Amino acid sequence: MNTDSPSSTPLNERRRLAVKLRLEGHKLKEISKLVDLSSPTIIAAHKQFIAGGWDAVNVNPRGRPIGDRAATTKLAEQLKTQALNKPPATNSPWTLALLSEASEDLGAQTSIRSIGKYIDEWDLNSTNLYKQCKEAGRQNDWLNTHYADISSTARKHNAVTYWAGTNTSSCRCTQSNTLQKYIYAHTTRGKYYWLAGDYATDVERFIDFFNRLASPTDNQSDNTSLTIIWQGQDPRLNTQLSQWLEQSQHISFHQHPELPSQAPKNVNEEINENTSERSVRTKNTAAPTTQQNNTTPQESNNDSPGLPTKQRNTNTMPLTHLQRLEAESIHIMREVIAEADKPVMLYSIGKDSAVMLHLAQKAFYPAKPPFPLLHVDTGWKFQAMYDFRDKVVKDSGLQLITHTNAEGVERGVNPFTHGSALHTDIMKTQGLRQALDKHGFDVAFGGARRDEEMSRAKERVLSFRTEQHRWDPKNQRPELWNLYNTKIKKGESIRAFPLSNWTELDIWQYIHQQQIPVVPLYFAAERPMVLRDGTWIMVDDDRMPMNMGEVPMMKRVRFRTLGCYPLTGAIESSATTVPEVITEMLASNQSERQGRMIDHDGAASMEKKKQEGYF
Amino acid sequence: MVAANEVIKKDIQKHLDLHENKDMLRLITCGSVDDGKSTLLGRLLFESKALNEDQLRAVKSDSKKHGTQGDDIDFALLVDGLAAEREQGITIDVAYRYFNTDKRKFIVADTPGHEQYTRNMITGASTADVAIVLVDARKGVLEQTKRHAYLASLTGIRNIVLAINKMDLVKYSENTFDGIVESFNEFSKLINVDNVTAIPLSALLADNVTTRSINMPWYHGTTLLSYLETVKVDGELSLSKPFRLPVQWVNRPNLDFRGFAGTIASGSVKPGDAIRIQPSGKTSTIERIVTQDGDLEQAVAGQAVTLTLTDQIDISRGDIISTTETPASSANQFESTIVWMTEEPMLPGRQYLLKCGTSTSTATITDIKFEINVNTLEQNAAKNLEINNIGNCNINLDRQIAFDNYDDNHTTGSFILIDRISNETVGAGTLNFALRRSQNIHMQAVDVDKEVRSKMKTQKSCVLWFTGLSGSGKSTIANLVEKKLTQEGRHTYLLDGDNVRHGLNKDLGFTDADRVENIRRIGEVARLMVDSGLIVLTAFISPFRAERQMARNLLEENEFLEVFVETPLAIAEERDPKGLYKKARQGDLKNFTGIDSPYEQPKSPEILVDTSNMSAEQCAEQIIRILRERGVITELKD
Repeated sequence: MNTDSPSSTPLNERRRLAVKLRLEGHKLKEISKLVDLSSPTIIAAHKQFIAGGWDAVNVNPRGRPIGDRAATTKLAEQLKTQALNKPPATNSPWTLALLSEASEDLGAQTSIRSIGKYIDEWDLNSTNLYKQCKEAGRQNDWLNTHYADISSTARKHNAVTYWAGTNTSSCRCTQSNTLQKYIYAHTTRGKYYWLAGDYATDVERFIDFFNRLASPTDNQSDNTSLTIIWQGQDPRLNTQLSQWLEQSQHISFHQHPELPSQAPKNVNEEINENTSERSVRTKNTAAPTTQQNNTTPQESNNDSPGLPTKQRNTNTMPLTHLQRLEAESIHIMREVIAEADKPVMLYSIGKDSAVMLHLAQKAFYPAKPPFPLLHVDTGWKFQAMYDFRDKVVKDSGLQLITHTNAEGVERGVNPFTHGSALHTDIMKTQGLRQALDKHGFDVAFGGARRDEEMSRAKERVLSFRTEQHRWDPKNQRPELWNLYNTKIKKGESIRAFPLSNWTELDIWQYIHQQQIPVVPLYFAAERPMVLRDGTWIMVDDDRMPMNMGEVPMMKRVRFRTLGCYPLTGAIESSATTVPEVITEMLASNQSERQGRMIDHDGAASMEKKKQEGYF
Repeated sequence: MVAANEVIKKDIQKHLDLHENKDMLRLITCGSVDDGKSTLLGRLLFESKALNEDQLRAVKSDSKKHGTQGDDIDFALLVDGLAAEREQGITIDVAYRYFNTDKRKFIVADTPGHEQYTRNMITGASTADVAIVLVDARKGVLEQTKRHAYLASLTGIRNIVLAINKMDLVKYSENTFDGIVESFNEFSKLINVDNVTAIPLSALLADNVTTRSINMPWYHGTTLLSYLETVKVDGELSLSKPFRLPVQWVNRPNLDFRGFAGTIASGSVKPGDAIRIQPSGKTSTIERIVTQDGDLEQAVAGQAVTLTLTDQIDISRGDIISTTETPASSANQFESTIVWMTEEPMLPGRQYLLKCGTSTSTATITDIKFEINVNTLEQNAAKNLEINNIGNCNINLDRQIAFDNYDDNHTTGSFILIDRISNETVGAGTLNFALRRSQNIHMQAVDVDKEVRSKMKTQKSCVLWFTGLSGSGKSTIANLVEKKLTQEGRHTYLLDGDNVRHGLNKDLGFTDADRVENIRRIGEVARLMVDSGLIVLTAFISPFRAERQMARNLLEENEFLEVFVETPLAIAEERDPKGLYKKARQGDLKNFTGIDSPYEQPKSPEILVDTSNMSAEQCAEQIIRILRERGVITELKD
C-alpha cells in the first residue's frame, strides 16, 4: 500500500502523464506501472480530463495547514457524505483508494491509511469473516468441504471470490437521520468494497453493488464472473433479488452458514423524529438471529428453485411444504398399519383419493399397500368415475371391495325422488357402516382434509367411532408431536385422515408435481348440462328425469369435486390441464365444496352427518 | 396468438415452480378472545387471500347480524366458526387453519377456550415452530400472558412473537409498547425462551400485520407476516443434529428384501454410514435408502424413507436407528415433565402405556417430585396430578427404550401416556433425562446367545419360580426336581433363600423396601443364569403378585414358569417344619405370611401342584412331565 503521501505538484504531473498515456491508448496496467498510480485513479483522472480539460486533472494541494482541525472535520464530514450517500463516479463500489481520490478531489490529501481510520471510525469496515474463520479455525468443516468446492469451481471459471454481507454503520443517513446501512465485500486477500444501502429496502442498490463488482476491468470486455459467499440473512428471501440473482449468469451465490459475528448494534436508545420510509431501525435487535455454531451449511449452489422436488435427491435445503406434507401422510399411514388389525382404504375415486393412494404406494414401497380398497358405491357416480376406478385398480394390483347398500337399491332410493339428504344417508352413510361391519375393518383411511369445511378444522388425524360408528365429540384424543394413539376396544373403529393438513391447492400442486392421473371430469370439456337451482348438473345417463321443457345443452365445464352426478355441480371453465386448473383456482374465489349440494342441506349439516358416520 | 399463449404458459410454470418449492411453518396463536386473537387470525387469512368468496359473503352477512364492527367485516366471525361447532364441546379443542403466501405455507393451531387452556395449548404447541402470544395493549402483560409464554417454553418453541394488539386503542403510543416489552422481558428471564420479537399491531385496522403501519412511524421492525415468512423453521435446525430414525414398520415384501421404514427425526443419512440400533446396541451399515422414486444418495430430517442394512440383524418397530458417533441413549427410568389431560387424576404407582417415538412400553410414575403452578411458576408438592396440571415426575418403564433428552430432540424425547383400560390419551410429557446414568451403558451385543447355549445343553433355559406358604414344601420339591434333572444330565441351578441371603443379599434386611429389592436381585440373577442357558429353580415364599410380576417382566415370554405349591394353611401350619408358625401365633414373629401378612395366590400359574393329596416325589414327577410337554427338556441323543 502506498503510504507516503506525495505532495500535489509531482502528483499532478503524474496524473497528467497518466492521462496522456491513456489518450495514446496504453493499457491501464502499463500506465499504472509507469506513473505509480492505481487504475481507478487513472480512470478518474481521464474522466476528469474529458469533462473539464487539463485543469480538471489537477488536484488541489494536499494536507491540511497545521492546526486547522476544523478543516479536517469538515473534510471528514464531506468524505463521509460521499462514502455513505452516493456511489463513486467510476463503475466500481467504494474502495479505500477511491475514497482517497475523492478526498483529493475535495482538495485534500488524505492517505489511504487515514481513510482506513475514518472508515473504522464510521463503522464502515466490516469484519473479514474469511480471515476470521481461517484464523479461528472455525467452521472448518464448511471451509474444507463446501468452501473448497466453491473456490475450486470459481478458479475453474476464472471467477473472483468475494465474502459479502450487509452491516450498519454508526453514521446517520442525511435525509432520514437513521443509521446508514451498507453492503460490503472482501476479496480473500482482504481488498474491501462497500456501497451504502440495504438490500431489504433498497433492492436497486444491492443490484448496483454487484453490477459494479462485476463491471469489466480494462483487459476484458465481458463482466467478471463473481463467486459470492454471503453472510447474514439470505437476500434470496426477497423475490426480486432472488430472481435477479437467478438470471445473473456470471454470479454464483452461496450462503455462508454462520451469521456475522459482530454483535448487532444497540440502537434501542435512538430517537428519531424523521419519518422517512427508508429508515430501518429495528426495535428488537435480538430478534430472529439464532446463532447456531454447528448448523449444517445450507449451501445453495446454482440449484435454481425451478427444479421439481422429486429430482432434488441430494439436497441439504430445507424440505418444501409438499415434501413435508408427503412425509407426514406417509408417517401416519405407516403408524396406523403397524398397529391396526384389519385396515382398509376408502377409495372414492376423487382427486384426494388419488393422492392418498399414491402416498400409500410410496409409504410401503417396494411392498404393495397392505390393505384393500373399499368403494362404497351409491350407484349414482359418473360413468367416467367407474371407468377410471377400474383402470386404477388394474394398474395398482390392489384388491377392490365395492359395496352397495342392497336394501337401499331394493327400496329404489335415488337422489331425485328421495332428495340429497336421504339418498346420502342411506346409500353412503349406511352403506359405509354395512361394509365396515361386514368385513370387520378396524381402521379405514379417508381422504378428508381440514380445510374442506369449517367444522373439520378441529377434526383429528385419527377419529374414533363407537361400535355404532358414531363420532363422539367428547371422546376424541389429543394429538401431540407425531404420536398417534391407535388403541381401541373390540368393535370400535378408527377413521384415519392422512391428508388432514393438505389444502386443495396442495393437492393440485402435488398432482401436478407427481403427475398423478385423475378422473378426466376435473378438466374442462363439452358436456351435456342442465341448470337446476342455479347449479349446473350433468346429464350423465338416461336415469335423470327431465323437467318440463328442460333440454340438456352442451357446455364447457369441469368439476372441482366429484360425487353422485345428480348432486354435483359443475363450473364453467376452459381449464384442460392441471396447470390451468391451478391457475383458475388461484383466480377463483369460491370454495371447493360450493358445488356439493349436501353441504347446503341446512346449517351444520356436515356436522350432523359426521356424527352419524359419514365422512 | 401462439406467442401470447406461450407467455401465459410460462407464467403458470413459473408460478407452479414457486409454489411447489415453498417451505412450511407451523405456528400457534395464544391468547383469549378478548385479546383479539380471532380477529388477528381472520385478518391473516383475509390478507393472504386464504378465504373464499362464499365464506366471505357468509361472514359479511353474519357481521351485520352478530358482528361488533358495524358494517365492516368482523374477522373474528371467520374463525369462530359455526354455532353448532362452538357448542359441540369437543374436549380437546385445537382448530387448524391454513394459509399461503408466495414464500411459505402456514399451518396455524388455534387454541380457544380458557379453562382447558393448558392441555389445548400444549397440544397445539407440540408441533409449532413459532408461538404468537397476544397482549392487549391496554392491559399489558397479564398472568395469562406469562402462562402462555411459559407453556410455549415448556414445549421448546424457539421463537415467540409478542404481538401487542389494539395499539389503536392506546393512540399508537410508543411508551406503552416499550413498557409492555420491558415487563415481558423481565418475566422471560425466568423461563427458557431465546428469541422474543415484539410487534405493535392493530389486527382490526391491519396495522403492521401485512403492511407497515403509517400510524406507528417509531416502529421500524418487521411486520408480523414478513416475520413469519422469514423466521427459521425448526425442521431446518434439526438437520444439524445427529441422525435418528425411529423404526415404524419392517418392510418384508419377499425373502430378499428387508427394509426399515420410518421418518427421519433428525440429521441426515447416506449409504455407507455406520449406524447403531438402540436399545439392542447392534451395529451395521446403511446399504440403500429406498423410495418409490428411486434410491436416494442422501436423506434428511423430515423425510419418510425405507432403509436397508448390509447385515441381517433383528430390528423391530420401536427401535431407533442412529449414527454410531452419537447414538441415542437407552434407559428405563426417567425424569420427565408431564401434562395431565383427563378428568381422572394421575396416580403414582398406576400403570399406563407410554408411547415414545414408535415404541410402546408400560410405565409407572414412581414419584411426583413437584407440581408447577403455571401462573406463578411455583413448585408445589403433589400427591397426584389433576387435569391441566403439570408435574415433574420420575417414571419407570418395564423395559429399556431408546430415546434422547427432549432438549436435544423433540421427536425422540416426547411421549404420550395411554390409559390401559379406556385407551384414552391421558397425558403427555417430555423425557428430561435418564435416571441412574444408565443411558451411557450401551447393551453389549454378543454373538453366542442364550439360544446357542441352550441348544448345547438340549434344553430351553427358563426359571421355575416356586411360590407357596411357608411349610408348603417348595424347597423339598424344588430339590427333588433339580435332582431328577441333573440325573438326566440337565444343567440346573437352585437359588434358595438362605444361600442368597448369606451372600448377594447379605446387606438387606426384612423391611418392605428390602424385601422388594431382595426379589429384584434374585430376578436379575435368575435372568443372567437363564441367559447362560441354565434351568433355574427358585424357592421363595414371594407372597405378593406384584413382586412375582416384576420377576416375570424381567424375562421373555415362556421363560418364566410360576410353580404354585398349593397347601391349605391348616396343613402347612400342622407341618410347621421350622416351628415358625408356632412363633408367629405366639406373637414372637411379626408379619408372618399366612398369619398376619397376606399371601396372594397366583391367578394362573403355569404349573400347580397340590401337596395336600400328593407326595413330594409325585409333585416333582408331575413337574418334570410338564417341563417335557412344554418342550423345556427334550430327549437326549445318545
